Amino acid sequence: MVYAVPKGEDVHALSNINFDLASGRLLTLLGPSGCGKTTLLNIIAGFLAPTGGQILLGDDPITGPGADRGMVFQQGALFEWQSVAKNISFGPRMAGVKSDVYGPEVDRLLDVVGLSGFGNQQVYELSGGMQQRVALARCLANDPNMMLMDEPLGALDALTREKMQGLILELWDRTKKTIIMVTHSVEEAILLGDIIFVMAPRPGRIEKVYELPFAKRALTEDTRAIKQDPEFVRIREEILSSIWEMEEEIMGREG
Amino acid sequence: MSGSMGAQVAAGSLENKGPKNKTKNARTVSFGDASAVRSIPAFSVIAFVVMMLFWWASTRVWGFDQAFADNFFAENPDVNQEKLLIAACNRSDECGEFSQFITPQQFPSIKDTWNAAGLLFTDGFQNTTIWEHAFTSLWRITRGMFFGSIVGIPVGMAMGLSSKVRGFFDTPVELFRPIPPLALIPLFIAIFGIGDAAAIPLLVFASLWIMTIAARAGMRNVQLSKVRAAYSLGATKRQVLTKVLIPNALPELFTGFRVALGVSWGTLVAAELVGTNIGLGTMIFQARNFTRLDVIVVGIAIIAILGVLMDVFMRILESILVPWQGKG
Repeated sequence: MVYAVPKGEDVHALSNINFDLASGRLLTLLGPSGCGKTTLLNIIAGFLAPTGGQILLGDDPITGPGADRGMVFQQGALFEWQSVAKNISFGPRMAGVKSDVYGPEVDRLLDVVGLSGFGNQQVYELSGGMQQRVALARCLANDPNMMLMDEPLGALDALTREKMQGLILELWDRTKKTIIMVTHSVEEAILLGDIIFVMAPRPGRIEKVYELPFAKRALTEDTRAIKQDPEFVRIREEILSSIWEMEEEIMGREG
Repeated sequence: MSGSMGAQVAAGSLENKGPKNKTKNARTVSFGDASAVRSIPAFSVIAFVVMMLFWWASTRVWGFDQAFADNFFAENPDVNQEKLLIAACNRSDECGEFSQFITPQQFPSIKDTWNAAGLLFTDGFQNTTIWEHAFTSLWRITRGMFFGSIVGIPVGMAMGLSSKVRGFFDTPVELFRPIPPLALIPLFIAIFGIGDAAAIPLLVFASLWIMTIAARAGMRNVQLSKVRAAYSLGATKRQVLTKVLIPNALPELFTGFRVALGVSWGTLVAAELVGTNIGLGTMIFQARNFTRLDVIVVGIAIIAILGVLMDVFMRILESILVPWQGKG
């Protein structure tokens, strides 16, 4: 995949962003608010068109949203008028798949995200963490090439968040999907990110790229122990202070 | 926690005191806490009793000068009370003097109203039973709501989805919406004629703008992320409309429906001024011509009760059809 997204407007939401992302990687986007992480994600999803440059998925340019790039939002964005199972089967149903085909698939996905037996529940009866599990299953039901996640765990409490980080890693390992995830949590970005882009604002650009081993290690090791790893702590402090400096600079410029 | 500003917490337990069905809230601050305020049924009963007492008192105690009447008839034993009433009112200048104890002419007593209601349910008024009047009115409102909805909902939805349509219809909607349907009665009679020909358009007018605005709001209140989620799950525009936008707008449509029903019900009496033969409003105006205040009061009470019942019905329907409302 090739991204080249220079924006030649008065406000450079994003400028001079070029990168390749190999299939099966887990990329986390990190940076101070206003650095264009979500803009970049929305461009990849096809919700926004770049004013310049192009984005290729395989060999094809992205021109709009599509079932090949599933999206998980911060607040689930589930359809309250449908049961959990109906939410999960939304993609296949829209594509005209018959219920005897997607039915077993829904059961399997419920099992994968740890919601066996919840198929007939209404989504508004579920907790925030469970709703995000449904959102992940719904995304997987389409078997997309890529999963795009916009702060998927941002609204969850700390404990649920840790559990869900484990689930995302598990899904990544199991499905071998390419994942791009926007997060505000430095720790989450380091733990989950096979690659991390630390982005800087005005214009939105990639400041630093890290390739880290923690995501793969977390598949077999205890995540809490990894977070105590001296290397993990060092990188966390390094990224935190660089984001801190960026925020300070923004404040200074505005003040 | 040390120092003079520290707090010492030595609470044993926090429990609900009192019997189970009468748990006392342990909250110390409840004034301004909306969740602590609910309707206590006993007080609703008290309010009803107070209203009835007021009715009883205003017809029995203040309106009816019993002493004066007793005195008058004691001094004039040969005066027939019924004949007096008719004679007095034939000479209108004297009607005022006697009206003090001609209470049914001012406001009917509970007993008279009750009797009138009984008669209305069995014999009817002007050869039409109350059932027929009520049914005709309900049918009229149903038609008004139906046409108001099938025009208003698509227009409102289009307004919520397209800037051009929004711009085009904003002018008529914003201009017509504030017009009270009552003001249009003469115009509608001139245009459509009398009877249902004018009454139905009037009721359509009453619900049309409300439904339009409700549908517009329903389309606009969708979370962008839901629409985006649907697109990235492969939904087409048409599927986004039918599977996401419309179901998502249902709670708003329901609210609009309830408001429109209330306004239509309020417009009904006026709508039936246009020369209809049957209907609760018509009945009230016919009763006025015969100075049957008891019938008028019964008509008003039926309108009130039916209005409440319809609202309750809509709420129940809402909780069945859009159970997710307020829980998203």
